[in-house]
Amino acid sequence: MSSAITACDLRRTFKGEIEAVRGIDLDVARGEIFGFLGPNGAGKTTTVRMLCTLLPPTSGSARVGELDVVAEPAAVRRRIGVALQEIGLDPLQTGRELLELQCGLYGILGARAQARVQELLELVGLLDAAERRTKTYSGGMKRRLDLASALVHSPGVLFLDEPTTGLDPASRLTIWEEVRRINAQGTTVFLTTQYLEEADQLCDRVAIIDDGRIVAQGTPEELKSQLGHDVVSVELHGADLAATQAAIGELEGLDRVVAGSGALALYLEDGPGSIAEIVRRLDGARIRVGAVSVARPSLDDVFLRATGRRLEGDREESRREEARA
Amino acid sequence: MTETLLLGRRAVREVIRLPAATIPTLFIPLFFLAVNIGQISLTFPSTTPFLHGQGYVGFQLPVSLMFAVCTATSGLALVTEIELGYFDKLLVAPIRRSAIIFGRLAADLVRGLAVATLVLLVALAFGMQVRSGVPGALVLIALAALWGVAYAGIGMLVALHTRNVQATNASFLVFFPLLFLTPNFVPFERLTPLMEALARANPVSYVIEGLRSLVLEGWVLDKLAICCGVILLTGLVLTWLSVRAIDAYDR
Repeated sequence: MSSAITACDLRRTFKGEIEAVRGIDLDVARGEIFGFLGPNGAGKTTTVRMLCTLLPPTSGSARVGELDVVAEPAAVRRRIGVALQEIGLDPLQTGRELLELQCGLYGILGARAQARVQELLELVGLLDAAERRTKTYSGGMKRRLDLASALVHSPGVLFLDEPTTGLDPASRLTIWEEVRRINAQGTTVFLTTQYLEEADQLCDRVAIIDDGRIVAQGTPEELKSQLGHDVVSVELHGADLAATQAAIGELEGLDRVVAGSGALALYLEDGPGSIAEIVRRLDGARIRVGAVSVARPSLDDVFLRATGRRLEGDREESRREEARA
Repeated sequence: MTETLLLGRRAVREVIRLPAATIPTLFIPLFFLAVNIGQISLTFPSTTPFLHGQGYVGFQLPVSLMFAVCTATSGLALVTEIELGYFDKLLVAPIRRSAIIFGRLAADLVRGLAVATLVLLVALAFGMQVRSGVPGALVLIALAALWGVAYAGIGMLVALHTRNVQATNASFLVFFPLLFLTPNFVPFERLTPLMEALARANPVSYVIEGLRSLVLEGWVLDKLAICCGVILLTGLVLTWLSVRAIDAYDR
């Protein structure tokens, strides 16, 4: 299958020698939903901005189809649709006016534009709100309108930068449905997200980015199966980490132990069969823990294995920091 | 061209839908017009030679027009779009970036025509007459509005370079020295030598002189030609710099 997006050793350094993207390679096939998963500040948005021609790379190269993003930016822009993390809407225009303008900017005018706008408003379920100014829209409605505005010219490649961040679960599901429907019509979707579930549910393939580097890449199932183990989580709930680890000691089929924030993750060949032994050992050492559970590996476990920390933990921490701020 | 028209139409719609952004810009020029006339008209009665038989309101009108049309509104609109993310949406569309600038300037022209007309009507209500007649009044409004378009480049330049609302808003302050280092209260000849030298070096003086000539003297072609030249040159330079700034944005 030919490539919709490729990147080769793509790098971006900002003033102050801040390396936001440190040499990434990508190969996104036509027609797939490709997830770019990583925590805040990992380099997702910087990568998208480079691929969308909004930001020149410091070095390396990237292509959309056969078009180089640096050498042929105008041609690239005609091929792509973009919905960035900041919802790009003009608050003083109505939904219909905004889409009509967007059509005009892509050379779709008159009756063609009106028909396309009507079609898109129906697609994203905003016909009833079409004559209202966008400043009166809810977060979910704004996101859907932004998505519609990225689709006016039926782009071959659609970039969605954290399209569901800040949305309630119902709105998130609506966006997922839209993305699936758009993809079913043949559009390649490059989607950045910090939500594991989103990447797992929606994406054909996923690249995990951390600190400007891709640390894992493949289908969600491939990535999870590469771990080859079950994951037994031991919630510490105040128990001493070192003592707990020492008490559990060596187990049959234990691949590795990773200490996260407030929990131990044990990668075992046979998780369910090992739980009884783990509990017995903890009991014998008189260590009381919160919970012991077993699960198939998740993308968070893939992230943990690749980076040494959990993505979910990172997000919780950043949420707490936001709340404190 | 189509993209400029589309973006211009959007910007004009914005002016109409957000009168709160335009109305305050009218307060200062009308306030200055009323206060200056109230305070100085007895000092300079209509027999004063430089008033050419008119009241002081005719002398002051161009200054008020300058106040009314010189704003940072377009710069503020631009920087607000940068903050909202809509600017990125425009940048990623397959259009010339300069269309974003020219679209904003279209709105400045419409806003300038509206506020200049209003200020002129207030001056006429004060008893002022336009010596060059109705055509002169129309030219007066058009030149004032075009000066507003030319001046808008300052706000847009600051917006594109700083991406900061406060800095863009403060760019309006640049206009105060430009406006007051002119023959705004009395003609060149009545200024102190230092002030006269500064005023003669200030291009805004010649815009005021040109507009004033239409009100007080009729069709004085040399003054009008210099006025048009200054507006054109200022407009070309500031617009060129704005287009350069938007072309270099994040590149």
